[in-house]
Amino acid sequence: MSDSLVTFANVSRFYGEVLGINKVNLSIPPGITSLVGPNGSGKTTLMNLMTGLIRPTQGEIKVLGIAPDHPERLCTVIGYCAQFDAFPKGLTGHQFLYWFLRMHGMSHEECDRRTAAALERVSMTAAAGRPVAAYSKGMRQRVKLAQAIAHDPQVLVLDEPLNGLDPMARAETIALFREWGQNGRHVIVSSHILHEVDQISDQVILLSQGYVVAEGAIQGVRDEVKEQPMQILVRCNDPGGLAARLFLQDHMVEAKISRDRKGLLLRTTDADRFYLLLNQVILDSGLEVESIAPADDDVNSVYQYLIGEGGTL
Amino acid sequence: MEPVIELDGLEVRFGQRVILKKLNAALTGRSVGLLGPNGAGKSTLINTLLGFHKPSAGTARILGHDVRTHARQVRSLVGYMPENDAYIAAMTGVHMVRLMAELAGLPREHALERAHEAFFYVGLGEVRYRALGTYSLGMKQAAKLAQAIAHGPKLLVLDEPTNGLDPPARARMIQLIQEIRDRGDLHLLLSSHLLHDVEDCCDQVLILKDGNVAAFCNLEEERRANRRFLELETRGEHHGDFLAAVEKLGCETAPGAQGRVKLVMPDGLEVRQLYEIAAGQNVQIRRLNRRRDSLEDIFLKAMEASNGRL
Amino acid sequence: MAVYKKTYRPYEGELTPAWRRFLVIPRYAFEELHRRRFLSMFFLATFLFPLVCALIIYVQHNVSALNLLGVQGGRGLISINVTFFMSLLGWQSMCALFLASFIGPGQVSPDLANNALSLYLARPFSRAEYVLGKMSVLVVLMSLMTWVPGLLCFALEGYLEGWQWMSDNARLAYGTFFGAWVWILLLALLALALSAWVKWKPAAGGLMFGVFFVGSAFGAVVNHVQRTNWGHLFNISYLIGSVWVQLFEGSQKTTSGAVFFRVPVGEELPLGACWAVLGLVCLVCLYMLARKIRGAEVVR
Repeated sequence: MSDSLVTFANVSRFYGEVLGINKVNLSIPPGITSLVGPNGSGKTTLMNLMTGLIRPTQGEIKVLGIAPDHPERLCTVIGYCAQFDAFPKGLTGHQFLYWFLRMHGMSHEECDRRTAAALERVSMTAAAGRPVAAYSKGMRQRVKLAQAIAHDPQVLVLDEPLNGLDPMARAETIALFREWGQNGRHVIVSSHILHEVDQISDQVILLSQGYVVAEGAIQGVRDEVKEQPMQILVRCNDPGGLAARLFLQDHMVEAKISRDRKGLLLRTTDADRFYLLLNQVILDSGLEVESIAPADDDVNSVYQYLIGEGGTL
Repeated sequence: MEPVIELDGLEVRFGQRVILKKLNAALTGRSVGLLGPNGAGKSTLINTLLGFHKPSAGTARILGHDVRTHARQVRSLVGYMPENDAYIAAMTGVHMVRLMAELAGLPREHALERAHEAFFYVGLGEVRYRALGTYSLGMKQAAKLAQAIAHGPKLLVLDEPTNGLDPPARARMIQLIQEIRDRGDLHLLLSSHLLHDVEDCCDQVLILKDGNVAAFCNLEEERRANRRFLELETRGEHHGDFLAAVEKLGCETAPGAQGRVKLVMPDGLEVRQLYEIAAGQNVQIRRLNRRRDSLEDIFLKAMEASNGRL
Repeated sequence: MAVYKKTYRPYEGELTPAWRRFLVIPRYAFEELHRRRFLSMFFLATFLFPLVCALIIYVQHNVSALNLLGVQGGRGLISINVTFFMSLLGWQSMCALFLASFIGPGQVSPDLANNALSLYLARPFSRAEYVLGKMSVLVVLMSLMTWVPGLLCFALEGYLEGWQWMSDNARLAYGTFFGAWVWILLLALLALALSAWVKWKPAAGGLMFGVFFVGSAFGAVVNHVQRTNWGHLFNISYLIGSVWVQLFEGSQKTTSGAVFFRVPVGEELPLGACWAVLGLVCLVCLYMLARKIRGAEVVR
């Protein structure tokens, strides 16, 4: 069972006195997992530990049962796409991928085939012959991705992979992640764009200042934040009247009328009862509803509650 | 209304390669978004408007001034926030912004006053005396914005302003941009890959592809149009019956993303009637919003257009 | 009572005229240099030699001082002639080289290191103004070190000797002035070009010296191997020395260059060639600057 997990057992990593991560316990199943947190919260440290680039000060890490002490075995199952934009000088895109694959010990024909396949996957076949220094930022990002997937790894570790990609490339890359996630591989992505995290992830890990603040499936995480009542935004033509009706209930906690007097932001401890009540209210009072949306059912709100402005600017 | 940016058959070449092919556009909005896939020519267009590249044919005008002949006037009216890192590591924040403001033409004392003001405005008040080399990424982005607004330009050009920022810093940057836009005396040109950012901040959008204008749309108008499209998310045991009943009323339904349902209501049908059904079947309508052609659909349509020329 | 919000205000005030903006860069550079103690001390120390020279001139004309030194009448100690002024210029020019290698590397490379140039050029400010502004810092400091003390010594001697001496030896003044300028322009362009191309400041400083010593060594090797004099074209101090000899003395040569800028007798090269090579070096530096100082990089 542990052979299909990426596990962290009481892992800490310090840089001298500076904290990287502290006492982290994680068990990452297959699928798409997102790492979310402010800059400096330990995301890159976590990824470097997973790929074996640095060693933990304390604790044990296992990727699919392989410890980072065995880099020859580890590198064949992990593909890593770093955050930084640096390449060996003088290489073309094709050469970069090809030589990287050769270092894995594959034959010339195998490397050629895989290079072509990876370039095709990220739509960089046309530009592969040009030097990497001549690429735009998005093209460099795609070559990095190609390098991470070329050797068909079981675990993909990607540090801000969508940075610099245009909307179409983003959609294509997200589709790639989904496909890999559904095939039972681990796709571990760190990102700052929370609505994308919402869209694509199966589970999410929130980090703040070196500690894991929450982890699990997104819906589950929200339900666990019990101290916070559910926030719902209703745009309608008579928010005051609606609020008056709602306050008669005992599950209502707070109601705020928006500045343009066309919206109501309310907090309730029992969302189910609220919605059923809303059906009634609309029928009885003839309220015209423009839109209804849960205001905190997503990673953004969980982030706000658990991490808030605590990150560094 | 006089266009803020006017492109008239603008063509830009690098050696033999033609990067921008005879662009024609007149951008009048408070805030214009610039979108396009990589290699479409967005950076080249921005660099040409700033005068870093010379157009090989055609003209571009900013607030009435031709960029080729009146490059200096143009540059004194424009504030630029580059995509890449742009700072002088050894200087303190205030020092650099003051230098840049003085180079833009402000007298010494005014430059210093405005440098401090700009730093407070972008939220870096506490760190303005620290050397720029010690700033974090979010601070460097905010410092770039500060130097762009310090001399009081009429057009602010922002290239990927939220690049690399973590979620609270992104929200703050977007909020700043929206505040600047809402002032009304400053026009914005925002180039970004994040459609969400462009949707939040811009009134008009110019989409480039392969050096041509693929689409130019007015988001304000799009938002006001078409009220018949809805997106619903329901919860309850009788979910399937709810859909069946709704369809019987004449709506077309289709599954949407994340388990939601897209609805097209026929004329004459009111949202109230949907709620009647929901109340009757004890179904919660958890989410209801009016869909309109969101920017993503517009963008994808523009990319698929075979000719791509407008 | 009124409550004031801290908000963005557009700028409605006046703007400085374009020519004043060009002065912004030297002003900031001088402020920064002023803060470096070592540099200020070094700069002051370079005035020692001219001070000694002025003292010598004074002593020559002060009979009581001469009596003190036990030399009776006439041109006792040191004669104030071409050699005197040329060696003053030579010494000060060597100090100018040191100064340029301390100051030069820090001018352009911090702006290029983090892409700040696109901010400079996005303002009503051109590349030429930028280069001239940076150069003016070096030019002003080096001028203060080279021809200004030289001309002051000349004026002092002229004052003590009389108008006739001054008009007879006006060539000394021209030579000091124009000779210094040739050196200053060359050094300033070289320093800025190296600063633009070499990111690491100590390396750029070292290269300033390297250009001279390596050049002269290479030239000596070429001379030895080919048994010719043309190798001296690689030796910048030789070229400067020849040019100075021409400026100071015209066709009646009595000296062989100045201290540090020697022109060995019998190995003179045609002056046209010397001027041409110096001009070429300046053009190469300008080209190097033009390549690096731009708003946007173009990679084909």
